[in-house]
Amino acid sequence: MSDLLNIQNLEISFQSNNKNLKTVENFSINLNEKESLGIVGESGSGKTLSMLALTRLLPKQASVSSGSIIFQNRNLDELDNKNFYKEISGKKISMIFQEPMTALNPVHTIGKQLLETYLYHNNVSVEKGIERALEILDAVKLTKYKQRMDQYPHQLSGGQRQRVMIALALINNPSLLIADEPTTALDVTVQKEIIQLISDLRETIGMALIFISHDLGVVSQISDNVVVMKNGEIVEKGKTLKVLEKPNHPYTQGLLDCLFKLEDEQKKNQIKDTPIIKVKEISKSYKLPAKIFKKPEIIYAVKKVSFDVKFGETIAIVGESGSGKSTVAKIINGLINKDEGKVEIKGQNIEDIEISDRAKIIQPVFQDPYSTLNPIHTIGYIVSRPLTINQNRSESEVKEEVIKILRLVGLSEEYYNRFPNQLSGGQRQRVAIARAIILKPQILICDEPTSALDVTIQSQILDLLNDLKTKLNITIILISHDISVVKYFSDRIIVMYNGEIIEMGNTNNVINIPKDKYTKRLMSSVFSLKK
Amino acid sequence: MLRFIAGRLIVGSSVGLTLSIVTFFLLNYVIDPAQAIAGEDALFEEIEQIREQYGFDRSITVRYFEWFSGIFQGDLGISYYWNKPVISLLIDRAPETITLALMSVSVTILISIPLGILAALNPNSLIDRIALGIAVTAQAVPNFWLGLIMILIFALAIPIFPVSGDKTLFHFVLPSIVLGASSVPAVMRLMRTGLLDVINADFIRTARSSGFYGWRLVFNHALRNALLPVVSVLAVQLGNKFGGSVITESVFAINGLGRLALESILGADIPTVQILVFVFAIIFLFFNLLADILNAYLDPRLRL
Repeated sequence: MSDLLNIQNLEISFQSNNKNLKTVENFSINLNEKESLGIVGESGSGKTLSMLALTRLLPKQASVSSGSIIFQNRNLDELDNKNFYKEISGKKISMIFQEPMTALNPVHTIGKQLLETYLYHNNVSVEKGIERALEILDAVKLTKYKQRMDQYPHQLSGGQRQRVMIALALINNPSLLIADEPTTALDVTVQKEIIQLISDLRETIGMALIFISHDLGVVSQISDNVVVMKNGEIVEKGKTLKVLEKPNHPYTQGLLDCLFKLEDEQKKNQIKDTPIIKVKEISKSYKLPAKIFKKPEIIYAVKKVSFDVKFGETIAIVGESGSGKSTVAKIINGLINKDEGKVEIKGQNIEDIEISDRAKIIQPVFQDPYSTLNPIHTIGYIVSRPLTINQNRSESEVKEEVIKILRLVGLSEEYYNRFPNQLSGGQRQRVAIARAIILKPQILICDEPTSALDVTIQSQILDLLNDLKTKLNITIILISHDISVVKYFSDRIIVMYNGEIIEMGNTNNVINIPKDKYTKRLMSSVFSLKK
Repeated sequence: MLRFIAGRLIVGSSVGLTLSIVTFFLLNYVIDPAQAIAGEDALFEEIEQIREQYGFDRSITVRYFEWFSGIFQGDLGISYYWNKPVISLLIDRAPETITLALMSVSVTILISIPLGILAALNPNSLIDRIALGIAVTAQAVPNFWLGLIMILIFALAIPIFPVSGDKTLFHFVLPSIVLGASSVPAVMRLMRTGLLDVINADFIRTARSSGFYGWRLVFNHALRNALLPVVSVLAVQLGNKFGGSVITESVFAINGLGRLALESILGADIPTVQILVFVFAIIFLFFNLLADILNAYLDPRLRL
C-alpha cells in the first residue's frame, strides 16, 4: 500500500485581540490508500480544525502557521487556492458534516446540487451527469431516488439529507472522504444505518476515510487506526484495537473508563410500592396553522399515555426526537397544559397544587446548560432564587444554604459570585442541578441532562445525579435517547414512539429482551466497543 | 404554486375591498362633499342645492356601492375641479409616474445591489466603509434638497440634463436619481447583511468543500438565498415610488400622478383624491403580491 496523505507537524493558530493562539500543534498523521482513520477527542480538542486545514475551509480568524501536507505525492502547500479548489476539493478529497439539516442549499433541488458538483469537475454532457447523479443516489440507498432529484432538501428527513450529503461528497469518486461527526445530529436508529452505509461505500469505492467523532464506540466500529486528541495535540495513536485494549495515555484510559463505567451496576434507592406520580391517559395535540380550503391538521405529540412512578424510583423515558418524551416531561412538570387525562402527584391532581407548592415537590433539569442559566445573574443569585421566592428567610441564611448546596454538587464557595459565562458546560450543569435541588424536591425531571456535554463530563454529571439520588432519596424521571446512560441509571424504562408508549418494563428486561419491533431496533443501534 | 397564487389573490382582494371601504367612508365623512364643491364661503342654500344635484343627500352606503361598482365599469367619477372624468386624468398622468417609478427603482437596484454584494464579500474593508458612508448620507439627505442640489450642479453649473419637465426620457434622469437614492440605504444594508449571513451558512461550506469558489460560489450558491428579503423590500419601495413621488414630481415639474394628487387635495377634489388613494393602495398591494410570488419562486420552502 502506498501513502495517500501525510501531514507533518501541522500547526494552526487563531488570531484574537492581536494575539496568536495556537489551537493545534504537532499534528502529524499518515494515511495509506483505502485506510480508515478515526480521530477522537472532545469539543475544542482541535480534531475538526485540523481537517478543515486540510480542506482549506478554516474560519477566517484561523490560519495554518506551519507544517506540511503531502497528498498523493504532491505537496499541497505549493498549490494555490484556485488550483486546490479545482483539482482537490470535492474531487479528490470530500467532506461531510455534522448537521445535515443545514448542509444542503434550501433553494435548489437535490438533482441540481448533485449535477452542478459533478459537471463542475467533469467535462461531460448533462445527460451523463444526470445518469451519474441517479447512480450515486441509488448507491447511498435513498428510497425513491428517482423522484428525489426534483425535491428540495426541506422535503427530506435528517437521515435522507445525510444520504444526499454523502452522495454529493462521493459523486466524483474521491480518494479520501472526511466525515466530521456525520451521525451526531441524527436519531440513534438512523445513526447505525448511516455508519454502515459509509463503511460499505468505502469498500466499494475503495477510498480512504477519516472519521471524526467524540464517540469511541462508533470509531471502534469503523476505523482501522485511531488518533486521540486533547487540547490541540495528539496524545495517542495506533491500531484501533490495540489502543482500546491497552491505552498508553491516561486521557485515553479516562475516556475508556467513562464508557466501561456505564456498563457497571448502579446505586439503588429504596423503592416503596406506592406510586408518587400517576399519569392517566394524557394526550397533547397541536393544530397546524390552517390553510385556505383545508381543514386544520391535528398532530398528536402525546397520545393516551399512562404510567406510574413509585417513590424513590428512577424511570427513564426513551425514544427518538419527536416521540413525545419531552412533552410528557413538561406536562408532569406543569410547564405545558395537557388536553386530556390526569396527572396525580402524591394523590393530588397537578392542577390543584399551588405553583409554589409544586416547586417544592418537583423540579426540572434541562439539556443545554449553555442557555438555561441567565447570563446577567451570578451563580449565587441563580441558585438562591427558588429559596427567596418560596420561603421567607434572611439573606445570610439563604447564602449559607446556597453554599451548602453548591458544595453538595461539587462546586466550591468561590463560584458564588461568578457568572455563568465563566463556567464550563459541566460546571453549568452542576449549577442547574444545584438550583433544582435547593428546595429539596422529591422528584427531579431530567430532560437529556448530559447530551450536550463531552463524554468525560457526562460521566461526572451522571455520578453526581446518582450520588444525589441516594443521598436525598429523590425520584427521578430521566428523558434520554442514550441507551447506555439509561442502562446505567434507571430502574425502569418506558419506550415511546410517535407519542405513544410502545414498551415498558424493567431496565434489564427491556434492554436484553425487547419485545416490540421498534425497541429491538433501538437497542441494536447502540454502539458498544468492538473487541 | 398555482394554489399558492390563488390563495394570495383571495387575501389580496379582500384587503383591496377593505381599503376601498375605508378610503370612501373616511373622505366622505370627514369632508362634506357638497361644501367642498360649493367652496368656503358658499351660502347654505347653494350647498343644499349642490347636495341634491349631485345626489349627496342619499345615504353614504348607497353612494359607496354606486362608486365601487362604477370602478368595475371604468366609471371612476367626474372630477369637480378639472371638470373631466377621473379616468381620463389618470390615463393622462400615469405614464410619467410609471416612467419615474421604474427608472428610480432601477437606479436603486443598480447602486445598492452591487454595493451590498461588494460590502458583504469584504466586510470591514475600505469598500464596506465607503458603502456604509453612502448609505448613511443618502439616508440623511432629504429628497427635495437633493433634487435642488442636483439641478444646481447637473443642470445649471454643468448643463448635462434639463432643469425640469417631462418631455423626453432624458428629463427623467435627475429625478430618478433623486427618488432612487432614497431607497439605496435600506436595500444595500439588507443585501449586505443577507449575503453575509448566507456566506457563513453551512451549505456554503458544503459548496466550498465541493470545490466552488469566487464569483461562481457567490452567484450560483449564495445570491438567491440572500435576495429573498431584498425582493420584499424592493417591492415596498416600488410601491413607495408611485405614492411618494409627490415632492420629486413637484421639484422637477413632472406632470405625474403625484402632482395630480397634490393639486386635487388643494382643490378639495374628492372624486380624484379618493380614486388616487385607492389606486396607490392597490399598486402597493400588487407589488407586495408580486414580491410574495417572486419569493416563493426563489425559495421553495415558502410555497405552502
